[in-house]
Amino acid sequence: METAQKTERQHPVGGSEAEAIIEVRGLTKRYGGDTVVKGIDFDVKRGEIFGLLGPNGAGKTTTMEMIEGLRRPDDGYARVAGYDTRSQLAKVKEVIGVQLQATSLFDLLTVREITRMYASFYNTPTVPIEPLLESMILGDKLNGRVKHLSGGQKQRLAIALAIVHSPQVVFLDEPTTGLDPQARRTLWDIVLRLRDEGKTIVLSTHYMDEARILADRICLMDQGKIVALDTPANLISSLASESAIEFRLPAGDHAAGADHPSAERLAERLETIDGVRRIEFRKESWVLYTDALQRSLTGLIAFAEQEGLALTDLQTRTATLEDVFIQMTGRSLREE
Amino acid sequence: MKPYIQLTLAQLRLFGRNRQVLFWTLFFPVVFIFMLGTFMGNGSGGAVEGYWIDEDGSERSAQVLAALEEQKAVLKLEQAKDREAALEELRHGTKQVLIIIPAGFGDTVEAAVTGQHSGVSDSPAGSLTVYYDQTQASKSMSALNAAAQAADEVSKAVVEYSPVVAVEPVGVQSLNLTFLDFIVPGIVAMMIMSNNLNGVAGQIASWRERGILRRMQSTPLRPSTFIAAQITARLLMNGSQALIVLLLGIFVFGAQMNGSWLLLLGFVLLGTLAFMAIGFIIAGLARTPESAGPIAGFVSFPLLFLGGIFFPVSDMPAFMQPIVKAIPITHLSTGLRQVMNVGAGIGEVWVEALVLGGWLAAAFIAASLVFKWE
Repeated sequence: METAQKTERQHPVGGSEAEAIIEVRGLTKRYGGDTVVKGIDFDVKRGEIFGLLGPNGAGKTTTMEMIEGLRRPDDGYARVAGYDTRSQLAKVKEVIGVQLQATSLFDLLTVREITRMYASFYNTPTVPIEPLLESMILGDKLNGRVKHLSGGQKQRLAIALAIVHSPQVVFLDEPTTGLDPQARRTLWDIVLRLRDEGKTIVLSTHYMDEARILADRICLMDQGKIVALDTPANLISSLASESAIEFRLPAGDHAAGADHPSAERLAERLETIDGVRRIEFRKESWVLYTDALQRSLTGLIAFAEQEGLALTDLQTRTATLEDVFIQMTGRSLREE
Repeated sequence: MKPYIQLTLAQLRLFGRNRQVLFWTLFFPVVFIFMLGTFMGNGSGGAVEGYWIDEDGSERSAQVLAALEEQKAVLKLEQAKDREAALEELRHGTKQVLIIIPAGFGDTVEAAVTGQHSGVSDSPAGSLTVYYDQTQASKSMSALNAAAQAADEVSKAVVEYSPVVAVEPVGVQSLNLTFLDFIVPGIVAMMIMSNNLNGVAGQIASWRERGILRRMQSTPLRPSTFIAAQITARLLMNGSQALIVLLLGIFVFGAQMNGSWLLLLGFVLLGTLAFMAIGFIIAGLARTPESAGPIAGFVSFPLLFLGGIFFPVSDMPAFMQPIVKAIPITHLSTGLRQVMNVGAGIGEVWVEALVLGGWLAAAFIAASLVFKWE
């Protein structure tokens, strides 16, 4: 079973035959007059890493907390391993493990003490504490106090506490926010290992690289709604343009912005370049999406020569989830 | 049972490892007892110190001085070397009284004696000048009384008067209580109130804010287990802190302990539980940890002054008495004080115990209604 999953890492969830361990239907949450989650539906399949990707305020945390039973949905329902999160919450709590976005732990307890305490909360058998903490690379911190841990170590401890009762589903809410690159990579390895051990992981993030590297499927959320749900590869290929060409123009007529009349004319003419599918102007940069990078690039340079335009900061790259998000919502992931 | 033990242990560890809080919660009441017990209640028992000046030097003035000497239990007088210097000391408060027998005192008295015999005058002729410090009201009153009594004695001797009615004083208070005896139970009551009320309110609100309670809520842990562990740990911790201060007060500072230790311990536990429950209510009502502190302060500050901690509740104005009698701190401080000072048994302090128990029950019901994980 484990080896099968490992070999299938790129496409671990082979279509519809995989069993849904989480079922979400019409899930809705309102705060006052604001509807922050607007009737969403999705399934999470057993053994996958399910990524909730979206900007801050998209409703990721609220969605997760409704599935965890920490918030009551105003409408719709969520089921985990067949248990309803409202009527069978006690059952749900036994099969899930939770790392909350803003959890702080007791600073004055040691790593071992706090793990033993969390283990005591469960009626089901728990895993041996020392091997668990060693697997989270905290073996030499067993008797160290929580307050002396680094940010990455604290997050790994939070994950250890979430899996101390060997739950079927693990919820990780923005586990790498605020960590340095090294600590993020260590955490990614741990998350992938958990999946390989057979756990289902629901992970929220606003980092597209994290979602692309970790998630088997990504649920792209914006303003309380799902804008897309697919594997990272399928999402990117849905752009129908594999590459993007970015450049700037020096301050002048053409650089003034997309709403400038001459810029509008410029955009119309750029669109005629061979292979270009779509044009965006954002953050003072022009972005041409193309499915024929080399031809479009040659075309662009010829166009610039002919018009006497001096291109700066010219770069090409493959299209990313960020581009998908922009296409779907018209906004950048990083915009607050 | 396992989560209850683990949570209790965790809370005790948090207490034990927070050295700073541990130090101040013990240090503060001890310093209070030391300051109030030593500086306000020192053993001079209300004696007034002062000077006398005899400007007359007659036989009559010597008679007055002898009569003043008889009052030395309350009036400790020395001869002043210089009038101005003596007045200066009076202004600085190091001495409280200056009695001057003016020149010509003896002659006036002699003249008056003659006058009285002939029945001409009925107003006293000789007079003593007494300088006193109005800012020290009670000491001044004893000084003036003592001086008046001395003057009275001389008058009686002069006119060869023998009294027909006398007062025979019999002390009913067999215990000689000092201010220290009063303040130790008060400080312990204050400590129990603030440690539990402010401690619970602040900590629970801060745990809620930091998401610690939410994280626990996502596990099968029951709120009742959580609260039971909190109560156990705090009962052990705050109860023993109160006991340490009591022991220090009794055995180091010398406060009297005339009653049953068991009953005293009972009041400590009852007070701890009652104020803990009130703390849980505040933690439930406060929206942020920042507001929990001020709310707890808002509740405990008036109690500090109304509840008989620093002054007897009988000193409160009449219109305040219903409030004073209703609040829990009054009954805790009174209970502790009655047991320690007077050696009261349960038969005499059952009302205090009952009211505290009532507060405890009501507060726990209210706390369980308003408690929330998030």
